[in-house]
Amino acid sequence: MEQLTIVGKPVTRVDAEEKVTGEAVYGYDLVLPKMLYGKTVFSARPHAKITRINTEKARRYPGVVAVITGADAPWTHGESIKDKPFLAQGKVRYIGEPVAAVAAEDEDAAQAAAALVEVEYEDLPAYFSPEDACKPGAVAIHEDFAGYRKADFIVSGPMPNVCEHFKLRTGDVERGWKEADLVLAERYSVPTIQHAAMEPHSAHAQVDPESGRVTIWVANDAPFRALHEIAEALGVANEKIRLINPLQGGGFGSKGGLKVEPIAVALAYHTKGRPVRVKFNRQETFISTLVRHECIVEIKSGVKKDGTLVARQMALYWGGGAYAEKSPTVCIRGSLPAPGPYRIPHVKVDGYAVYTNKPVSGAFRGYGIPQGAWACEQHMDEIAKRLGMDAVDLRLKNIFVDGDLAYWGEQLHSVGLKETLIKATQAIEWGKKQPGARPTVKRGKGFACISKPTRTPTMSRAGVLVNGKGEISVLAGTVEIGQGCSTILSQVAAEELKVPLERIRMAPLDTDVIPFDASTTSSRSTYHMGNAVRRAAIDVREKLAEMACPMLEAKKPDLAFADGKVFLKDQPQMALPIGEVVRRKLGNEGIVRGDGSYTYEIGKDLDLETGHSDHASAFYMYATQAAEVEVDEETGRVRLLRMAAAHDVGMAINPLNCAGQIEGGLAMGIGSALHEHLVVDDQGRVRNPSFLDYHLATSLDVPKLIPIIVECAEPEGPYGAKGLGEPGLAPTPAAIGNAVADALGMRIYDLPLSPERVYWEIQQKKKKTAA
Amino acid sequence: MRRPEPLEIFQPASIREASAIVKEKGPGGRFLAGGTDLVIAMKEKGLSPKYVVDLKRVPNLSGICEEADGSLTIGALTTMREVETSPAVCKRFPFLAQSAAEVGSIQIRNRATIGGNMANATPSADVAPALLALEAGVKIAGAAGERTLNLGEFFRGPGQTAMLPEEILTAIVIPAAHPNLVGEYIKFSPREMMDLAYVGVAVALVLDGKKRCDAARIALGAVSPTPMRAPKAEAVIEKQILTEELAQRAGDEAARECKPISDVRSSAEYRRAMVGAMTKRALLNAAERPGPVAWTERRERRY
Repeated sequence: MEQLTIVGKPVTRVDAEEKVTGEAVYGYDLVLPKMLYGKTVFSARPHAKITRINTEKARRYPGVVAVITGADAPWTHGESIKDKPFLAQGKVRYIGEPVAAVAAEDEDAAQAAAALVEVEYEDLPAYFSPEDACKPGAVAIHEDFAGYRKADFIVSGPMPNVCEHFKLRTGDVERGWKEADLVLAERYSVPTIQHAAMEPHSAHAQVDPESGRVTIWVANDAPFRALHEIAEALGVANEKIRLINPLQGGGFGSKGGLKVEPIAVALAYHTKGRPVRVKFNRQETFISTLVRHECIVEIKSGVKKDGTLVARQMALYWGGGAYAEKSPTVCIRGSLPAPGPYRIPHVKVDGYAVYTNKPVSGAFRGYGIPQGAWACEQHMDEIAKRLGMDAVDLRLKNIFVDGDLAYWGEQLHSVGLKETLIKATQAIEWGKKQPGARPTVKRGKGFACISKPTRTPTMSRAGVLVNGKGEISVLAGTVEIGQGCSTILSQVAAEELKVPLERIRMAPLDTDVIPFDASTTSSRSTYHMGNAVRRAAIDVREKLAEMACPMLEAKKPDLAFADGKVFLKDQPQMALPIGEVVRRKLGNEGIVRGDGSYTYEIGKDLDLETGHSDHASAFYMYATQAAEVEVDEETGRVRLLRMAAAHDVGMAINPLNCAGQIEGGLAMGIGSALHEHLVVDDQGRVRNPSFLDYHLATSLDVPKLIPIIVECAEPEGPYGAKGLGEPGLAPTPAAIGNAVADALGMRIYDLPLSPERVYWEIQQKKKKTAA
Repeated sequence: MRRPEPLEIFQPASIREASAIVKEKGPGGRFLAGGTDLVIAMKEKGLSPKYVVDLKRVPNLSGICEEADGSLTIGALTTMREVETSPAVCKRFPFLAQSAAEVGSIQIRNRATIGGNMANATPSADVAPALLALEAGVKIAGAAGERTLNLGEFFRGPGQTAMLPEEILTAIVIPAAHPNLVGEYIKFSPREMMDLAYVGVAVALVLDGKKRCDAARIALGAVSPTPMRAPKAEAVIEKQILTEELAQRAGDEAARECKPISDVRSSAEYRRAMVGAMTKRALLNAAERPGPVAWTERRERRY
């Protein structure tokens, strides 16, 4: 392989300076000329018919330009089930659902007028857990479900309010139970949490009165998908919609699909061409945008005395909230690998995405993997304990290795899982026991393994432009959501064109100009867009080489590129800067463009009856994280002492950014393990919609972190790279859970591991022991 | 909700002037010190005062002064950060400095004032238990002159104090303390920082060479409508040799006499249990490792 000059190097992020100095402009910062201010009226009932809406007083408030309700916006949308209205249509399904909206000359007027909109309700039975909502006889939250437009893969039922039922059937679990020496059944749960991106949600929209064209300024993580979803909902051609994507201050999945966009668009149809901004504050972001699925996981395994897994059966109940959003695909892609990265001959999985009367659940960094892992990886430790086996040995006996046929029917390659397991557990000195500081303080160690698929098949396209000054613009639809894609893609372009990184610029993201990209989700960008940018850069390089042939009196195969120049391989002094090649051929203002596209070609689609697919994912990400904890039995407090995280990234295009992704993932995972829980009470109200009572981990809650990069190259990936965005938090709670169980000699099945929960579990155990 | 109308703000140059404004404008106004509670309440919690009287131009309201009689005066507008870093406080009452260091973040402590915090009368205020354990008093000034109250009489309920609307808290006075006084403040909250106290426990003890407890003050935060003393727990250890068993008994007693509520943060039962555990820990810490140490080390001692 040719020598790499910048790919693989720990270069500083290209956007670091503008962000740390506060210069960067995010979607939330945007101010447009003649802009109006939008404010939303939210449902005050979890499930109710709207019997009357009176907007008279709001309309008369000084400065108000428009007040709209569902009657003014008769559109619905949804990624795979078109069930979600822009504004409530005759009924509401959760507290926080947008019911009406106001546009006014200033924010205060909009706020005051919104408070004057009167809504009357007639309550319906409401369900606040997936288990209650799918009980026989439960009232349908979507009575018109059968009539909704849906994607082909949607399988609903058999219970009430189940909008997706995923089935995986491999072998025969009944036979498995008979062959097993030990059968263990357990139940785990994960609560609702929120993304809590630093930047809350906002969108700006404008409708051109003459052409009817809609322009939306929004930090959406999938601009082309959002554009299509809006066009489809409005019943207009995609060309009628333009999305301009400013910088995004974090999203973690919450800024895909449509959140604030429908409200802004609906208002913009009533403002006579003036742009309107809808900006959610933190509380509105908590109650009305998106949350992560709460999940109840039933898991049962059959295992031989020597630790060989024989059978595993799982049922996962995903609390979808009031609308389907991405619940069907979270259910599919979270349930499919939930039995863990292990060879198991007999597997049966049922995943149910269930409507509830709670805030809408959807994509969240990890896409269903953390919920399954919380159950599966603790369950593995319980099996090890009952067999009297070391937990690492149990994993080694069963984990995926190259060439294994996974239980969903795919032959695996480039599996770096074993290396991550060994390195992560070594880093916390697995096997070495240490006592706590006091008799009432117990120490423990634990770890967890995961594999994570990526959304497949998807497409990325890119363009690379070279001008007469030798400056390069990269046109890519990947959104800089803080993950570092602008640095990674700049490195790829700089590598292929052999120019310094400073010469690369990422073009602003405008769907009128930028080539198509599926989404900035699912840890897919380095792999898919990396390949597309690489191909585009190679395309433009070939064009430059062709143009340089007559100038250097050479044939193309004799030319090479380095240091921003093209030169003759055997006479390096015969060289031309690439900008000069462009100038000589096309004049001073000339531009040469290269294009690239990448789509992962799949074999068969997922089989709806068995869940099988020979290529369920373009690549798999493997990871093991390990934790050492101290638990204070007098208070229940869990203190993390250190955490190691070994991630198979295929190839680290930027090791510094990889370490950052791992550390950021850990910090987020630690919050979800120890603190985070968006509490919804028995009236459907969110009780802690602020950072005062919704506890993210602070820097002081994060212990010494040991990021470990494992490189098991993916042949199809750019330079061997896979992805890394999501797995950083996926095994974290399970690793900490296992460490807590090791410390206490008892297991806790529900998240978060808050001091109060741990304390009462310890008290209960003491009572049982005494009795 | 943001205000539709502009807000009237006054910036008096004296206490007398400030009181006069309140007398004239009538009820519904608020005093502004650091603003770390008031501004958030206005921006995010729908508080809409009729007017605001900013006290920051009133002279001599901030600063820490060691008086000739051995007492310590802390001006109402002294920031939490000043209390936390004051050499006089760190030397004499390190656990008070500790309690101030537990408030919010450094940025917040650079603005938040000790007087504003007391006047707000939040049950979970971190410095309140430490001040109660030191038997601090408050100086209150109004149009009619100045009066002094014990901090224990000052708090009346959540957000309620013994002050009249036109009265202003001007200083906190910590009486001269016994040279052998040692103390400890433990804030118990799930998160390491940037959190409210779920339970706060301050203890101040006067111990002789044999750990006999000549005087004991135990004060609790976040477990009753106001920060409170725990006299029954104090009685358990007074005139006794402080042992682990005795500290446990005092903790049990404090757990019995506190009056916590259940909310989204914690159940009352858990708060009660933590009062017991933290009181015991605070007593043992105060007795065993007295003297000033770095606050980061002091924090470690809670675990």
